[in-house]
This record gives sequence, C-alpha cells and structure tokens, in this order.
Amino acid sequence: MRTIAVEHLARVEGHGGITVELEGDSVSNVRFDVFEGARLLEPLVRGKRYDEVAPVLSRICSICSVAHSLTSLKATENAFAVRISPQTELLRELLYRGENIESHALHLFLLALPDYLNYPSATALAADKPDIVLLGLRLKKLGNLIQETIGGRAIHPVNAVPGGFGKVPAVDQLLELRSALIEGMKYSDTVINLVSSLPAADFCRGDGVYAALLSPNLDSYYAGDEVMIACNGDRSIVRAADYRMLTNEASVPHSHAKHSTFRGKPFMVGSLARLTVKPRRSTGRLVGLRERLQLQSPAGNPMDNNKAQALELVRDMDRALETIEQLLRDGVKDERPVGVHPRAGTGTAITEAPRGLLIHSYTYDAEGRITSADVITPTAINAASMELDFQRAVTQCAERDDAVISKRLQMIARAYDPCISCSVHLVRRL
Amino acid sequence: MKPLLVIGLGNPLMGDDGVGCAVAERLAGDPRLPTGVEVIAGGSDLFRYAAQMRGRSRVIVIDAVQDGAEPGSISVLENAGSQLDERQDHAHHLSVCQAIRLLQMTMSVAPTLLGISISSARLELRLSPEVDCRMPAILDRVLQELIWNSSK
Repeated sequence: MRTIAVEHLARVEGHGGITVELEGDSVSNVRFDVFEGARLLEPLVRGKRYDEVAPVLSRICSICSVAHSLTSLKATENAFAVRISPQTELLRELLYRGENIESHALHLFLLALPDYLNYPSATALAADKPDIVLLGLRLKKLGNLIQETIGGRAIHPVNAVPGGFGKVPAVDQLLELRSALIEGMKYSDTVINLVSSLPAADFCRGDGVYAALLSPNLDSYYAGDEVMIACNGDRSIVRAADYRMLTNEASVPHSHAKHSTFRGKPFMVGSLARLTVKPRRSTGRLVGLRERLQLQSPAGNPMDNNKAQALELVRDMDRALETIEQLLRDGVKDERPVGVHPRAGTGTAITEAPRGLLIHSYTYDAEGRITSADVITPTAINAASMELDFQRAVTQCAERDDAVISKRLQMIARAYDPCISCSVHLVRRL
Repeated sequence: MKPLLVIGLGNPLMGDDGVGCAVAERLAGDPRLPTGVEVIAGGSDLFRYAAQMRGRSRVIVIDAVQDGAEPGSISVLENAGSQLDERQDHAHHLSVCQAIRLLQMTMSVAPTLLGISISSARLELRLSPEVDCRMPAILDRVLQELIWNSSK
C-alpha cells in the first residue's frame, strides 16, 4: 500500500492533515482531518447571557470574526423575535462585505497565488513579485478599514450588539470609506486580469452539489433564512430552522468535524457555490468580468473557487460603495439598538461567511441564558466534499510521483479556503 | 515618530494560545507601563495591525511559542523568521513569522517577538495553571523589556 500524507496544514498537532492511501492505482482511503474547535464550544457559552454570547464566539477566528459575531447576533435576535431596522441590516451587510474583501484578498494574493505561480510562500512571492503582494495587502487593508469603521475595531467587532449598533458611523467616516473604495476599485481590472491569467488547475473535476444562502437582496451575505441547494439542475430549499436536515451530520473517526451531506451527497459551500446557486444574479459589468474569468455554469471544478473569490472581491467593492451611497443619500439616523426582551426559545441563523454557509443555533431559557448552542462552520460542511475531490484528483494522477500528488492535494485544500485551525496560531521554534 | 507599540496575539478560547492577548490586557491596565507606550490586545492575525504599526520606531509582538522550554518562560527573538518554524500551516491567515517577514519587506517595520513558552493549546477559556501562576513574573519581564526599549 502507498500512503501520501500532507501534514501541518494546521498548527494543532495531528489535525488538518490529508492522508491518501492507494492500492496500486486505486484510492482505498482518503482522510482530511479537521480540527473544528467550533464544534466543541457549547460548554464555553452555556449559561451565558444573550449579550455575552457574540463577543465570545467572535473569537473563534480572527479572519471570520465578523461572520461569527453577526451570525450569533442574528440567531439571538431570531430566538427573541427581535426585528432590526433596515439601517442596521444595511450596516451589517456592509460590515460583512468588509470582512469578505479582506479575507478574499488575503487568501487569493498571499495564499493561493504562490501555489499557482510556483512559489513556496507569500514571502518568496513578495521577494520576486512585490507588486502582487502589495496589491493583496492594499485590498486587505481596505476590507480592514470597512470593518474598523462599522464594527468599531479591526477584529472582533464590539459595535454590533443585539438589536443594532452601539454607535452608527458618522458621515465623514462614510465619506472616507467611499474614497477608499473608489481608490480600491481602480484595481478591479488588475485583479481580474491576474486571476484569469493563472495556469489552468483542472485535476478534480466532477459533478458537484452546491449550497448557498437564498437571500432576498442581491448578493447578500447576511439577510435571508433559507438555503438553496443545486444538484444537477435540481434546486431544493431548506429553511434555517431545519438546518439539521440540510447538514445531516455524521461523525467520522478521523475528524473533530462531523461530515455533512445532503441526501447522502457531499456538497460545497463558499464563493463558487454562491455564484453557482444564484448564477443569474450577476448584473452589469460583473457579467463581463465573469466571462473574462471563464467561470462556467454549472460549475464542476472546485479549483474555480479561487476565480469566484476574485469576482466576489471586485463585486463586493462595488456593492459596498452602493451601500455607502445609499446611506449617504438617505441620511444616517442616529438609531439606538431596538429593545431586546429575552424569552425561552430557540433561534437559528444562517449567513454566508467568506468561505461559505455558517450556522449558529441557540436555545435560551426565560432569563435569556444559553442552555444549548450549536455552531457549524463552512469548513466542517466542506470536509466531505474536499475528501471527494482529493479522491478524484489522486485517481486522475495516481501514476505521478508523491510530490506532484501532494502539491495538488494542497492546492485543492487551499482552494476551499478552509478554516482548519484558525482558533490556534502559536509559533514553534525550529 | 509614533511611540512604541505592543501587540499581544492569541486566541483566548484556546487556553495558553491566548497568553499574548492576556498579557496585553493586563499590561494596558498596569500603572508601571511606561508613558506613551500603546498596547493592543489582538487576535491571531498580526497583519490586521499593519496600519497601526506604520511609522513606529519600535513594535513588540507578544505571542505563544512552543519551544520545549518551561511554560511561562520568555525569550526575546529579534529575528523571528530565522529562529522559528515558518511553514505556512494556516489556511487563511499568515503565520506570525511570515507576517513579520512581510512587514519587514513591505513596510520596513521589524517587530521584536517576545515569545512566551507554552506546552499545549486546547479549547479552554482559561490559561493553564502553570502559565497563569507565572503571569506576575511574565509581566515583570515584559515591562523590563518595554522600559529598556522606550528609553532607547
């Protein structure tokens, strides 16, 4: 038996690795070992008051802190039947777009591009092609600025609270954001040209199942309470409250993350899934950008998630600017958060984190204290789909040497942009 | 030139992994903190604070290090990239070592890393007893470093 192991995708020892076993040219076993700390968080929030939950859970991940914070607030507000104002919804969407811009810029330019351009790391790429890395950092900074302005600080937004925002942005802050976005949008063509010119990566193509938030507004990451699943032309809809039907999770011995399937099939979430499930939502110049990226519909190549992120990165700058223009046009109201009146009950929220569907579901007692909590991250949902794609890739190139196979496995893993162990980041001495 | 900036990194949900963040939080309220020193208790992505680091004469990053030394002991790493494991093993943010290297390359900022040794990181809201009981000594040592740096 031949074993190919990719270790150290994560800092947590024994986690985040990929193991593929072959008997001859046949793949006999594939394991993607995810440390999924979010699954284990319930004891940390059980007994906490409703206004203490989001600040704790936003700590799950520095890059996804807005997603966890806002999904947590939405679940709590659903449990207490709180209706937020239209302005709060706009500001939360804007905050979400800031996180997406930052996350996609970091992932595309500093993590994925070195793979495609044959550099071992972002630092090696920076030494040779500093313009690429500087562009990524410039766009990441733009996303940070949006989050800092709307969320109150660079990470773990303190300004978003149950019922609304502690403080709404001032007009001059929005004007500053508008200028920064207009400046950032000047690089849209460069982003699209760069990503569309990357070497083809087509080594795990196959029929895919995709799931994304069905939002009432165009391209929303935050609003919406239903998920659409696309499978071979069929579309199914699952309500947030029925999320267990969607994820249908099963424990597997090699992972902290339970594996999710829909009707027995692994499915993909994230940028490519969003664009696949809602293919007709590209409008205006985005249609042309999509064509330049040669993004196919229906999708079949998970590596295209990188192209989909590039499209979203550009689109989110557009959308963020539109939101700011709307806020400036309508006038920013100095609203206080709406009243929150705790009651016993369960609230579930689904949103689109940068890397796909994120689910928070809480049950509260009558005093507004958590009695149970469930957090399902996009990486946990994607784990089964990733394993299927690892299997497809190795089957297609089983005759190649281990180094080639290992690199392809890493590229697939990175294309999914997984949050394997972002909850731990410590450094190790050589 | 802006004053000395201290950034404590870590995830408080992951036990001793959050020690850098915990040290920063305590430093910020310590009356012995030299005048003008700014402190950020941060998350796990050093690059999030790139804007705050720009134009600083000195930046000190405090973070957990797994180096086999006694938990709670401190080492000062002026050239962290060459002494620490620089593998990219995070899927969607840069390792501290890579972030320090990129800051040097793109912004001419060269943070000093104060590494606090830990033995493990696991899901836990508190520091381990062996690191927590060393916290007064850790604070003394960090303050000594800050006083020395701010007098330069």
